Amino acid sequence: MAAEPGRLPEGGRIDRSRPLQFRFDGRAYTGFEGDTLASALLANRVRITARSFKYHRPRGVMGAGPEEPATLVELEGDLASGNRPATTVRLTDGLVARSVNAWPSASFDLGAVNQALARFIPAGFYYKTFKWPDWHLYEPSIRKAAGLAGAPRESSNDGYEARHAHTDLLIAGAGPAGLMAALVAGRAGARVMIVDEGAEAGGSLLNRRLSIGDQPAMGWVAAAVAELSAMDNVIHLQNATVWAYREHNLLMVHERSPENSSLSGRSWRVRAGQVITATGAIERMMVFEGNDRPGVMLASAVQAYVNRWAVRSGQRAAVFTNNDSVYAAAADMARAGIDVAAIIDSRDSVPDHARALVPGMEILAGHTVGKVHGRRGLRAVTVAGRRIDCDLLAVSGGWNPAVHLYSQSRSRIVWDERLASFVPGDAAQAVLAAGAANGAMTLGAALAEGAARALAAVAALGRAAAMPALPEAVDTPYTVAPLWTAPGAAAKSFLDVQNDVTVADIELALREGYSNIEHVKRYTTGGMGIDQGKTGNVNIIGAVAERQGKTPGEVGVTTFRPPYTPVDFGAIAGRRAGPVVLPYRHTPLTGWHKDHGAVMYEAGARWRRPGYYPRPGESFQDSVNREARTVREGVGIYDGSPLGKYEVKGRDAGRFLDWIYTNVMSSLTAGNGRYGLMLTDDGMILDDGVSFRLAEDRFLVSTSTGNADAVWQHMEKLLRIERPDWQVRITNVTSQWANATICGPKAREVLAAMGTDIDLAQGAFPFMAFRDGTVADLPTRVVRVSFTGELSFEVNVRPRDLPTLWEAAMEAGRSHGIAPIGSEANHVLRVEKGFLSLGHEVDGTVDPHDLGMGWVMSKKKPDFLGKRSVALRRSAGRPRRELVGIRPLDPDRQIPEGAPLTPGGRKEATEGFVTACVWSVVESRWVGLALLTDGRARIGGRAYVRLPDGIIEVALCPPVFHDPEGERLRS
Amino acid sequence: MGYDATITQLPLRALFDLQGEPSAIGDWCGDALPAFPERPNSVSERDGRTLIWTGPDHWLLSAPLGAEAGLSEELRPDDAPADIGVTALSDTVTFFAVTGPDAGAVMAVATPLDLHPDTFPADAASWTESFGTKALIRRIGEGYEIAVDRSYSDWFGAMLDRVVA
Repeated sequence: MAAEPGRLPEGGRIDRSRPLQFRFDGRAYTGFEGDTLASALLANRVRITARSFKYHRPRGVMGAGPEEPATLVELEGDLASGNRPATTVRLTDGLVARSVNAWPSASFDLGAVNQALARFIPAGFYYKTFKWPDWHLYEPSIRKAAGLAGAPRESSNDGYEARHAHTDLLIAGAGPAGLMAALVAGRAGARVMIVDEGAEAGGSLLNRRLSIGDQPAMGWVAAAVAELSAMDNVIHLQNATVWAYREHNLLMVHERSPENSSLSGRSWRVRAGQVITATGAIERMMVFEGNDRPGVMLASAVQAYVNRWAVRSGQRAAVFTNNDSVYAAAADMARAGIDVAAIIDSRDSVPDHARALVPGMEILAGHTVGKVHGRRGLRAVTVAGRRIDCDLLAVSGGWNPAVHLYSQSRSRIVWDERLASFVPGDAAQAVLAAGAANGAMTLGAALAEGAARALAAVAALGRAAAMPALPEAVDTPYTVAPLWTAPGAAAKSFLDVQNDVTVADIELALREGYSNIEHVKRYTTGGMGIDQGKTGNVNIIGAVAERQGKTPGEVGVTTFRPPYTPVDFGAIAGRRAGPVVLPYRHTPLTGWHKDHGAVMYEAGARWRRPGYYPRPGESFQDSVNREARTVREGVGIYDGSPLGKYEVKGRDAGRFLDWIYTNVMSSLTAGNGRYGLMLTDDGMILDDGVSFRLAEDRFLVSTSTGNADAVWQHMEKLLRIERPDWQVRITNVTSQWANATICGPKAREVLAAMGTDIDLAQGAFPFMAFRDGTVADLPTRVVRVSFTGELSFEVNVRPRDLPTLWEAAMEAGRSHGIAPIGSEANHVLRVEKGFLSLGHEVDGTVDPHDLGMGWVMSKKKPDFLGKRSVALRRSAGRPRRELVGIRPLDPDRQIPEGAPLTPGGRKEATEGFVTACVWSVVESRWVGLALLTDGRARIGGRAYVRLPDGIIEVALCPPVFHDPEGERLRS
Repeated sequence: MGYDATITQLPLRALFDLQGEPSAIGDWCGDALPAFPERPNSVSERDGRTLIWTGPDHWLLSAPLGAEAGLSEELRPDDAPADIGVTALSDTVTFFAVTGPDAGAVMAVATPLDLHPDTFPADAASWTESFGTKALIRRIGEGYEIAVDRSYSDWFGAMLDRVVA
């Protein structure tokens, strides 16, 4: 077991009484509670922690937080996940991690051969190189070579949760500005949610040695957190990232360590009245040749490792900067025992307040790093011809306010010359920025701005709040003189470390005409992916501006996209996984169906229905044939509960139905029904069903199962928008009525045997009528409709009564051989009869004439929905696909549903397709239905189904194979 | 450990959908109804009968299932005049009770509706979305009641159980 040579003997916010064991790239290490994987690796002096995305260059840890561009890891075991910045992985006992982009390890990576090929694989190389014969031929191996971590192979056993929250004020970031804002708003009584990505609150204060008032800054943080935790109106989340900002102030939060121990992650969907982004600022890299060498780190990260984790990232350091912030960092480094050899400042003049922080330290003003030495890790830098030995180079190219979230709100981002960065501009939603995220780069300014923004937000909420007395906070002033690219920066000067985008790549893009920054981004991939330009974006813009002779403001900024940091898919899905991932619906008989061996299918609108009821020794087709024959020859029963049912009531109910159906419904007499079609505005069939008149002003409308909700919405929309003056009220009674449909030549006998007070004689109870009465002593509404083409009684009861009714029917029908039938047999029966089915013959492209149902288009009514569209379309006289029956010449040849029909079976544009094909129990052969161009005129001829394995010749016939006169269903 | 909450599927109850102008409904229903709720998305109660505002000129009357037959005789749905709708809906929804100290946390997973007492007080009730399906939510003494279409109840109950587990 390795010791921890980089760990300071004391200090840091780690618990030294709790050592932790972990493995990285197959080797065992130790760390402490409070470490991140990155801090533990640095403490163990692991220098090469990663390989780069494209070139497989060795990389080390560069940052200390979510900005880390280099060291992405894949976690194994219970924590399995991929592409996690090592700086955001909390160290736990037994953690197993490995570097992505490397095999077998980051230290020894076979993919490093790419470095030798680097000059041949610049930005966009694959656009030019792998075009012939097909990019997709190369894509898998290229992606494998360049890809990041894969998804875990095993699904997580841990639970995830997605929850909702509403708050007056959401504050993103619990640094000084965010905490101050939360205190002000919380004290004012507003519902506040403050969310911070760190393991503990404090933001940048965790990494620095500052004071607030008369106490260390972290003392002030602790007091603020304690005060917030005592407020019932405040929710405070740590280890949680606001990763997306959407419309209407909807923000997404990924919480990684919820208090509920059964959860390993949680997603919050937060609706906020006001938002304050107090997301801090991210330090930029300096851009020079070799700036990705292990040992080159962000200065703020080096400072954080020293102060927060008691880790020395190196033993002898140089510092390279263009701004003031590194001077405090250098002082902290020296205090921790790092030998700071020199500060190389690209500015000709270093402010006195900066110099004062590092008395006695050599400062090389007006200089830049010319070269770095060391192949697998930094050994020295050359500055103006002078070699400075060092194993650590702390760099700072200035600070970028973290405007990602603000930008995601679609608010403006504007260039700030003073800060040499982009800052929040005009807001597009109810959002304010505070602290370093708004360019307030010193502690005092951040505290003041946090309070001021909270006052503004609270005022916008209609509440009053008092400006608190702001504590004194001394901080170093911040000035910067941008150095976008150092002299000589080229093919080894990385602007976007994570995506391996170099200065040479940017120059290539510009040479090739990609002058717009959005095009540069797409061509080079700079600023894309997981990183979303945290450390590199502004440098890319600056480099482009430099080369185009513009200001970065003139170049503009690209779009920041969510997620800000990687989010577990599981957290987004929440509890909706496994067996409940999609809703499913059941009838009161679902248990019975399952108990009797039914194979259950999803049958539209989330209903699970019996597909068929196999008996021992039966094949699928055997079962379907048996069930279909049962209906044709005896009696069957099926559960028709899911059919959509609506009561339509009111003075204008008849008029309304006349408008939405193609035929006349208002002429129905009470107790009778009529089949009808509904059309969309554009004259296509929306739905079919039977409407019954219950009373003068009251109708019962049935719809197809799958379209029930859509039809309801259609009707309500029409009433509310098109006909608000009509007195019509619709009530959904789909779930108030369940039904058992008894069908077949012996159906009447079975129903009579169940016991009923309804006169079932054909003359007394004709087809398309309904009767209220009792069946098996249950209150029922019996309806004479038929989807099978046989005598059929749809017995409707209250769902609570359906199991009793069903058992009574099974008992009464036993002597007649009654059997339950599933949707497969129903499909056979309706195809034999030529009845249309939504989703088969009706696919949103057909009108009634196409299906041979011109008779349903009323000529009596002056108008109905879709009438004009049908007339307009048909007036063009263009050929239409029309419904026909088909019989394969080979009677034993099944045709896949959806199979295309082409002229002569040739490889030409299709002239139609097969909508259904079933084994007909009345013809003992395969038969089908098809939509075929000019189909009706071609009946008697042939058509050809073109399949990959051959051509099937079919005879065209009328689309009815059984009882064309309808005598059986009316019997 | 999951949440300290209990999920209970409640028995059927008598439900009637009422549509129309309050005066017309009042004229037809007489004393069968509690007073109409004073504001949208709220309820009124009397003698075990609850009237829930579910939309403009739209209410849901709820009572114990034992009162169903009597209510049906009082309300005479089939004979109601053309300008109002009275429809029996007792079997259409399944009610679940979510109770216990963590009921609020469970509800935060189940629905996007803001259930803070300031916006959803004790007499509040509202149709909303829960796990992507339509649901009627109201406060009950020690938690919340959610009603969903009966056909979804198996799946919905399983979802609630997963949240609590």
